[in-house]
Amino acid sequence: MTNTAQKLDTIPLVDSGYWSSVTEAIRTEAERLLSSGEVTAVIGYRAGRRSGTALPAIATSPEQARELVFSPGCVNNLALYLTKAKKDVAKKGKVAIVAKGCDLKALAGLMGESQLKREELVIIGVACAGVYGASADRSLPLSEETIARKCRECTVHAPEGVDLTAGSVPALPQLSPEEAEELARLEAMTPRERWAFWTEHFSRCVRCMACRQVCPFCYCEQCYCDRNRPQGVETSPRPAGNTAWHIVRGMHLAGRCAGCAECERACPMDIPLNLLNRKMAQELKELYGHEAGIAPKEKGPLAEYREDDDQSFIK
Amino acid sequence: MHAEKVKHDFEPKIVAFVCTWCTYAGADLAGTSRMQYPSNVRVVKFPCTGRIDPVFILRAFQKGADGILVSGCHPGDCHYMAGNFHARRRFAAFRKLLEFVGVDLARLQFSWVSAAEGGKWVEVVTELTERIRAMGPLEEFKELELEECWSGKIDTPELQEAYKAIP
Amino acid sequence: MSRIGVFVCHCGENISRTVDVEKVAAAAARLSGVAYATDYKYMCSDPGQGLLKKAVAEHRLDGIVVAACSPRMHEKTFRNAAKSAGLNPFLCEMANIREHCSWVHEDREEATEKAISIVTMLVERVKKNRKLVPITVPITKRSLVIGGGIAGIQAALDIADAGHEVVLVEREPSIGGHMAQLSETFPTLDCSQCIMTPKMVDVANHPNIRLYTYSEIENVEGYIGNFQVTVRKKARSVDMDKCTGCGVCTAKCPQKKIPNSFDRDLGMRPAIYVPFPQAVPNTPVIDRANCTYFKTGKCGVCQKVCGPGAVDYEQQDELVVEPVGAIVVATGFELYDIGPKPAGSPYEGYGEFGYGTIPDVIDGLTFERLASASGPTGGKIVRPSDGKEPKQVVFIQCVGSRAREKGISYCSKICCMYTAKHTMLYHHKVHDGQAYVFFMDARTPGKNYDEFWRRSIEEEEAVYIRGMVSRLYQKGDKVVVMGSDVLVGVQVEIEADLVVLATAVQARTGADSLAQKLGISYDKYNFYSEAHAKLKPVECATAGIYLAGACQGPKDIPDTVSQASAAAAKVMTLFAKAELEREPIVAKVNERNCVACFYCKKVCPYGAVEEKEIRDRNGNLIRVVAYVNPGVCGGCGTCQATCPSKSVELDGYTDEQVIAMIDAL
Repeated sequence: MTNTAQKLDTIPLVDSGYWSSVTEAIRTEAERLLSSGEVTAVIGYRAGRRSGTALPAIATSPEQARELVFSPGCVNNLALYLTKAKKDVAKKGKVAIVAKGCDLKALAGLMGESQLKREELVIIGVACAGVYGASADRSLPLSEETIARKCRECTVHAPEGVDLTAGSVPALPQLSPEEAEELARLEAMTPRERWAFWTEHFSRCVRCMACRQVCPFCYCEQCYCDRNRPQGVETSPRPAGNTAWHIVRGMHLAGRCAGCAECERACPMDIPLNLLNRKMAQELKELYGHEAGIAPKEKGPLAEYREDDDQSFIK
Repeated sequence: MHAEKVKHDFEPKIVAFVCTWCTYAGADLAGTSRMQYPSNVRVVKFPCTGRIDPVFILRAFQKGADGILVSGCHPGDCHYMAGNFHARRRFAAFRKLLEFVGVDLARLQFSWVSAAEGGKWVEVVTELTERIRAMGPLEEFKELELEECWSGKIDTPELQEAYKAIP
Repeated sequence: MSRIGVFVCHCGENISRTVDVEKVAAAAARLSGVAYATDYKYMCSDPGQGLLKKAVAEHRLDGIVVAACSPRMHEKTFRNAAKSAGLNPFLCEMANIREHCSWVHEDREEATEKAISIVTMLVERVKKNRKLVPITVPITKRSLVIGGGIAGIQAALDIADAGHEVVLVEREPSIGGHMAQLSETFPTLDCSQCIMTPKMVDVANHPNIRLYTYSEIENVEGYIGNFQVTVRKKARSVDMDKCTGCGVCTAKCPQKKIPNSFDRDLGMRPAIYVPFPQAVPNTPVIDRANCTYFKTGKCGVCQKVCGPGAVDYEQQDELVVEPVGAIVVATGFELYDIGPKPAGSPYEGYGEFGYGTIPDVIDGLTFERLASASGPTGGKIVRPSDGKEPKQVVFIQCVGSRAREKGISYCSKICCMYTAKHTMLYHHKVHDGQAYVFFMDARTPGKNYDEFWRRSIEEEEAVYIRGMVSRLYQKGDKVVVMGSDVLVGVQVEIEADLVVLATAVQARTGADSLAQKLGISYDKYNFYSEAHAKLKPVECATAGIYLAGACQGPKDIPDTVSQASAAAAKVMTLFAKAELEREPIVAKVNERNCVACFYCKKVCPYGAVEEKEIRDRNGNLIRVVAYVNPGVCGGCGTCQATCPSKSVELDGYTDEQVIAMIDAL
């Protein structure tokens, strides 16, 4: 019964008309692209079997295009489907992709890393109001309670540089920046306390590698952390190896991560992985003014330098 | 001239990742000048600081280093023109990550030591060794190394009994 | 299982005094994979090396650790010993227990413990060492010289005389550069043309020199020993093969009122012209911007009068690709533009000195043209405004140079000497004239230089006033120079007939874009950077490219010629080898793992990383991967530390080797 009470209290962030208008815009464009033969496939979402869920879907016919949706359940970063990890998709020919703001940043990052070419892609940008958090009650509408933590501080509701924008951004209330607050809380700790925080989290890690599999930037065919000659990072799921893995992951994504927080969403052990990525993004912004953006960059912040870079930490 | 040898309770393991052109040569110069410094440091030579992967630092901490020094050519002196500039950014970012995970940055020292700075090499190594000696061993990674498994809390009385039963 | 041999050196007593070498050898013998360990008094001596070679054979060693001095000292020695014992030299490593141990520690116990630990690390490393083979790169034994001034001419002649082909590219219609514009040269006062023109003719006649004038570098690809240079031959409108250089066309050209930049605009030339009578080649060029035919389509006189029919209005720019193995950059300098601040210039300009607005304020190079016997006035020194002989001439030094507030803080090096020369030339030609020089310091280091400067004062009666000039202005037909004499502490005002400014030497406009084509570095003033200020003064950090002359920094003629010959010597050294051999410490790409993110390419300081297409038998593109050109790779390893999947690996410093050392801590 408490559930019902909550449901009644929940104030939706946007009215349901928004979702259907975005969905309709995606369907119309996808249908047009597929029937004109402009693309061979549209990567988008379709409704999941349970209500409030959605699945990544690859539509290859106008009929399938009619099944595409956009809902708060469209959590996945579809950029993943264009990386080498999913090379069969790209083989189909020119494709279109439905992209939220955070997915767009990932696409831009992948273009900067020579993984994608803009001209080989039709981007259907979504004017995104936000999506569900990992543990949200999907029977509720998108609300301050159910929205993903990353969406609370989203700066890319309105897509830019896309071929078509589906829907328009509704008026959204200012939400408290939970992740930034958590980050600040951690930063205020002593190193020993932070170490305790992270080792507790990392000790739960089962090395399922979901964080890696879901990351658009972990497209290496042979992950460094799976190597045995030499074994730079211990591969067994022991606390020592886990800690090394998460540190190396954080470092490899520094300056590249688009902040989609898919790693955190996919983690079955609820390790707040995006905090590591957020921290690195924040540091690289402070140090070198770098921010993951919608426009592809030729070089990331760790692939370039300035002669007068900060070196106050070097004796 | 010989100073009285002081025995310390704790002798830290210090690892120095250095480039061959500047810091390694600087350390050589300290040798040819017969300067004296603590014997704790172990040098790993690289062509350039640009070659030094953050993984090496992590690995060294895991393998028992209590303090780490990364040292190369001064900006503009890099034998390879820009290797140290790239390294500077890489380590500026990496140290922030380590700090965020809870590593005390006092254990990770960066320096520029040129081939002519034997004295600076001695100074940097001595200072780091003394600092780490005062801080004590780096327990965090050592504890982690000893922990077996993520679900390692299998510690039932029955199990204890079974263990004890083993002659 | 490895069979490593460990050889611990006493180094006389240098090591054994503080390190218990026997204990180190005994400890090494116990290490897994060590088949043999011993100690010896002097490992680097002949018997020491003999010991090593014998042990390799007797114990079938497949790796060697010599625990002795720094590898910077004897790595080559022991690697050669290993090689002569039939072992790949890169399977031999040195454990530095002298500079890094016995010499810096006093406690025997501690030092011994550290030595054992160092040896252990190196034993673990050497187990992971791979056999490496020196890399050989073929060399195209032709060289490119960019710039046909005295630097380029000297370098080209030296290389050509050594028997190698030279491609000499000059932007202007004639070679000669600035030196051809000078009247006399310090400190001997010999005529610049007289010493320059024979060299120019030598270039033209040299069988090993291919000369491209009125041409520019379009593109440079490749690397040391193997550059592909694209040269743009600008349309000359005259067929060089047909033209005999008779000069009828230039004489008959009706358009004769074009300021001749060679004469600093003091003289005039026709639209079809050779810049100066001694030009090499003596083939005219049509200045299309000023030619009546090209402007209106009417005229065509030159074509009508040309006997051999060499004039070709239809001629187009032509691109020529030249394969060369080495490049000498000798693009020279230009003078600071001292007029009002030019748009887009990083420098402030000297509007207050009236250059460009007061006709009788000229720069030093213009004075050279006035004083030159082949100049527009036939060597008679006259004022540009009214052609009168100036009786009072003021020379101002350090205009632009050493003026941080104006954007240049360096000394232009040549002005003190050429100003002294100017006062002499002036005094020789205008006996009753008086020269004044405003100067900050007189900088005259060089053989017979200070004597020369003293002579200008003591014998040639030049008046040197220490101080700077604040302002110049026109008063009647005089130029009033207001300045201060800081030695006497008074304000000075001179009514001059002519003012000559010793303007700063600066890098060529566009020097940066040429540097980018060549892949060489340059400083904030766009002067090209040498690899080492003292020990590699003519080499660029980019292998196979050398510098000569003022493109690297202000220089006088003797220095320029010396540097040009030095650069030529470097080219000849390179060409003396059949193939280029280099240490195989280079990065290699594991093509199977490479995901083509090209971070390696983004960070490579050498531009050694290329994109390589892998195609199947039918030529279909399968994938693109990174490829490291071993001829270009400098071996820093920045790529490997950056590569997310570690698909690029630096030989000699692989992850396996490094991690083996770390794990042996």
